[in-house]
Amino acid sequence: MRKDLLSDFLVTILCWAWFTLGFLVFFSWRYVGAALFARETETSIQRLSSRFYQVLFRIIRVAAPNHRWEIDEEVGAIRSAVIVCNHLSYLDPLLLIALLERHRTIVKTRFFKMPVFGWVIKKAGYLPASGNGEFSGMMIDQLESMKDFLQRGGNLFIFPEGTRSRDGKIGNLRRGALKIARLCHAPVYVLRLANTDKLFMPGKFLFNTRIKNTISLKIIDRIQPACQHTTPSTARLEQRVLQAYSELAK
Amino acid sequence: MNRDELQEKILTILTVDFEFSQPGLDDNLRDDHGFDSIDAIELLGKIEVILGITLTREEKEKAMEIRTINDVLDYIEAIDSSRHR
Repeated sequence: MRKDLLSDFLVTILCWAWFTLGFLVFFSWRYVGAALFARETETSIQRLSSRFYQVLFRIIRVAAPNHRWEIDEEVGAIRSAVIVCNHLSYLDPLLLIALLERHRTIVKTRFFKMPVFGWVIKKAGYLPASGNGEFSGMMIDQLESMKDFLQRGGNLFIFPEGTRSRDGKIGNLRRGALKIARLCHAPVYVLRLANTDKLFMPGKFLFNTRIKNTISLKIIDRIQPACQHTTPSTARLEQRVLQAYSELAK
Repeated sequence: MNRDELQEKILTILTVDFEFSQPGLDDNLRDDHGFDSIDAIELLGKIEVILGITLTREEKEKAMEIRTINDVLDYIEAIDSSRHR
């Protein structure tokens, strides 16, 4: 194996080791403890997930020093908001979980059926992408508690494109996040993430540790419903989000 | 409230609050107007206000199967009549 590929291989193995062994040894029992004994199970599970991924990103930072990280410090301080972000890599949701201790997000329904992971995301209060069939009850529960969750400082983060962008451009937006923001009268923060796909490319198994790269995460717009005379329509919110991304592309 | 009055109220809600354009009674809400589970929860809140009741969890879950505006009207009438039995 070439020396440069060896580095990619080692970092990938290290990350997977954390995902599997790290979870089993350091976190699995904490999750079980949180589920059984925590006063607020959902909050405890979210906090544990955040810590789990904080360690993952520490590992990546140390093991892949060619990638610089420029994370807007204000992102971690966001509270009580719906956060929308462009989506480039599987690392993106993990990064937001690491940064936002009190978080919920929307997850594809098939993930809820996975052993262990499905249990964790259900206990963490994540929403299924569809409320059909067996997921209708879960969707009702999570949406009805959303306003309270947001008012108590939680954040809902969503990648409104629904899938990873293959060309870096913003695709069509799904309106679910904006509908929730409108329903809960919550502010919308628009984030711009760049270059996570250079570190972990869609369709590749190995991390790319060899290239010089800067991964950045910035707040590019804040839409405050309190500043409006009336609650902005979902279409208006969508227009504003798209405008924020398009102005950045100029 | 008769069905015509109910229909007028629901159509007003769908056009004003949900930004529907020219909704038809048998339009597929999801495919034709992008109506999803989040909208369904919001609409249920408005139905509770119209009927002056609090829907049970079972009633709410049933609402997730609604596909058309006629289904919405049937659903409201069924709830209303079950409460007045």
